[in-house]
Amino acid sequence: MDLVTYQTQDIWTWWIAVYLFFGGLGAATLSVTFLTDMYMQPHRSLVIWGAWSGVIMLGLGSAMLFSHLLHHIAVIHVLNPLILLKKPGAWIALGTQFIIWMMFWGMLYSLPHLQECEGTDRVPGLRWLLNRRPIKGLSQLCARYSRVIGWLATINGIGTAVYTGLLLQSFPAVALWHNPGVPLLFTLSAFSTAMAYLLIILNFSKKKEEDEAIVRLYERLDLMLIAAEIVVLFSIFNYLQTGSAAAQKSLSILFGDLGWLIGFLCFGLIVPFFLQLKAVVAGWRSNVPVVLSAMLVLTGGYLLRHYFLVAGVYAYPW
Amino acid sequence: MTRYAMVIDLNTCVGCNACMAACTIENQTPVWAGKFRTYVHDKEIGKGEFAHRRFFPRLCNHCASPACMKVCPTGATYKKPNGIVMVDEELCMGCRACMMACPYGARLEYTYGDVTEGGGFYGEDFRRRSPSVDKCTFCDHRVEKGLPPACVETCVGSARMFGNLDDPGDPVAQLVASGVARPPLDHLGTEPSVFYIDDLKRGR
Repeated sequence: MDLVTYQTQDIWTWWIAVYLFFGGLGAATLSVTFLTDMYMQPHRSLVIWGAWSGVIMLGLGSAMLFSHLLHHIAVIHVLNPLILLKKPGAWIALGTQFIIWMMFWGMLYSLPHLQECEGTDRVPGLRWLLNRRPIKGLSQLCARYSRVIGWLATINGIGTAVYTGLLLQSFPAVALWHNPGVPLLFTLSAFSTAMAYLLIILNFSKKKEEDEAIVRLYERLDLMLIAAEIVVLFSIFNYLQTGSAAAQKSLSILFGDLGWLIGFLCFGLIVPFFLQLKAVVAGWRSNVPVVLSAMLVLTGGYLLRHYFLVAGVYAYPW
Repeated sequence: MTRYAMVIDLNTCVGCNACMAACTIENQTPVWAGKFRTYVHDKEIGKGEFAHRRFFPRLCNHCASPACMKVCPTGATYKKPNGIVMVDEELCMGCRACMMACPYGARLEYTYGDVTEGGGFYGEDFRRRSPSVDKCTFCDHRVEKGLPPACVETCVGSARMFGNLDDPGDPVAQLVASGVARPPLDHLGTEPSVFYIDDLKRGR
């Protein structure tokens, strides 16, 4: 009884890391673009990019989880919103509802923007669909209540981003996951990767003068988010270092892996921090460093989730 | 009230694995894939002349506060009034969150392939129809008939005892009340219904 066997898990592996990564990135992208459109500067193409990136990323992540289910048909139970009455505290149930409603309100919010977007003419059948009377009517309704719909999508988006961390936190046997820092870390990472993704989009799209303010804001926000991530990570490391033996084993797995040390900590966090710092303080002559930094942040976002799953250590009583 | 519980005496478990075999046949688990509802861990403790071999039977702990039930998104994992934690295989979508939440590694996967294989392995008596996460049920179907779980009935060393924790006269309840039988990983707050009598303090 006094003995313990330490074991890493191999149940949730890379495919859950993909689910958590795309879940956080997609949800935060949608939320950030909608908030930008509502409160900073109306921006049609940003809304369309944000909404549809969010929907596609959430779709990809959810497909990853779905494809690994043992019983695919039974997923119907968790898609039903009434599941929240039965299982209000189960994070996958809550998360699934956040994802569904984020997609739903997100698509509605982007509908009036799609109506007025010339680019939709290039997608076969889309203009025809948008010109149908019920769709036009729905679009007018969405335009009238855009602020409410925008907030409904944003709240569900933020819920999705936070959920990705709360899901791991809900497993009490693993010290690395079952601590208050994890949801905070995953939320910060979700919004940081979203900023990075949007910076890439804005730097590659035809940049208008008015986009400059948005790019500057996103650069500053990304810098602050990376800095906050470093602080939260440090506090988690400190907790692991002085925590239980399982926590210390998780720490030694992380720090014994070059993928974590060099891939995530160095190139996924520290290097982007300094590249963004230079961008914010003095600026770069070209947009290459900012785009490079953003790509590193995106890679780091996936690696964070991947290694957090790899380093989950259970302490069994045998 | 009834709260079913099990006490396992690590001093008398001889590691014959008869419990695993009995459980497999009784509950039709995917043994061909090396998956069991109860498993006996074999561990050598100490070194040289002080070496001590321990057999540690593991199964679902039917916790009073089950972490697996809290995280289950569909409500497939539920607890009966008698304390037995069950899985409704029709409701379970197999996301494995319960497997991640369980501190005792007590759950296993029953895949599409296992359902197909089971038909050939267990023949026409094969009961399972859909894949899901699977676990020990304390042989609920036997307990309903007043019989002990298959693993308890077959245990040659009488290492497994089954009883009612809410009956002060029950030997299982008395072993728990005396503190001789202790819950594993009690600090996690799961309140297990499986208790172990330690073998290490006995000496040689």
